[in-house]
Amino acid sequence: MKTMPTLREKKRYLAFKIISEETINRRELTGELLDSICLLFGDTGASEINPSLMSYDGRYGILRCQKDRTSETRAALACINKVRGGRVSIMVLGISGTVKGAMEKFIQQRLVKEPEPDKELQEHLNH
Amino acid sequence: MKALLSQTMPLFNAKFFDLMVHLPDDKGSLAQFVSAADEFGYSGIAALDLKYNGTDMDQLPSGFSLFSAVEVSGKPSRLRDEIKKYKDTGDILITRGRDEEVIRAALETQRLDILLQPVKFNNVLSKLASDNSIALGFNIGSIIHTRGDDRIMELRTMRTNLKYARKYELQMVLTCEPYSPYDFRSPREAAALAGLFGMRPKEAVDAMSSVPLDIIRKKSPEYIQEGIEII
Repeated sequence: MKTMPTLREKKRYLAFKIISEETINRRELTGELLDSICLLFGDTGASEINPSLMSYDGRYGILRCQKDRTSETRAALACINKVRGGRVSIMVLGISGTVKGAMEKFIQQRLVKEPEPDKELQEHLNH
Repeated sequence: MKALLSQTMPLFNAKFFDLMVHLPDDKGSLAQFVSAADEFGYSGIAALDLKYNGTDMDQLPSGFSLFSAVEVSGKPSRLRDEIKKYKDTGDILITRGRDEEVIRAALETQRLDILLQPVKFNNVLSKLASDNSIALGFNIGSIIHTRGDDRIMELRTMRTNLKYARKYELQMVLTCEPYSPYDFRSPREAAALAGLFGMRPKEAVDAMSSVPLDIIRKKSPEYIQEGIEII
């Protein structure tokens, strides 16, 4: 049964980019994220933040959190510095009220700016 | 909502600086650090023991500034001489506050710029720092790289230091103290981390923009003393 619209909790979606030595899979990132939040704010804090990884492609991702807990989520993301022994840094690109907004505003715009690796390689071979 | 956005948006529309970057010895590290800092939204960095040449300076992105900083350490008796040695070099002088005697010796010297993360800070030392206009440094990197008891101690120290800084109106500086390009955090993240020990967003933004700019201004050759400047 769906939650009544008036009782529905407001959420925010954080678009982020991962800068890492090695590729990190979804499972590792989710584990590290929950660890970081639990270590920093405890179990109560984690339940208040209510984090959930909406999408992740190995480089860009969208993380959902409660509307009034964006600052705490940012802090927890910033605290992640190592995954599987490799150095990692997570950069929050922006916050939006919808998944679509976060995707269009922060992730797709960046992807358009960056040239596709195949095209770049083809141009290099042509020269 | 719009009113809230208009309050927070201009806050982060400033030039941000990280004044304590550790460069490794290998060639090409400077370019990596500069591109990482630029990507994370910094307008300049101050690297410790910077040995740059003309080509390095040409490769800097437009609008990006590079400064030199020196970490002064040693016994309290030698610390004063060390600081005096760098008096006219234009380097940003930083001392790590591990020991109360070292902190006192450093604060009694007027030329020091930043006292980083003093462990046992008190009202007497705060007054000294205030008289000699020495900024108090907060190391965000220590929150990122430590866990458990160590992180609790670091947060406790920073919370106490923040109280003294507010009471004695000391300038505050935030730094991630990066040892590698992966250690940089964007100014918004740094402000969120500073919020963990009670620093307000406005204070955090000032600690990364206006205070570092003020320190850089004081280090310029035109600056003589507060209120006196060569035109």
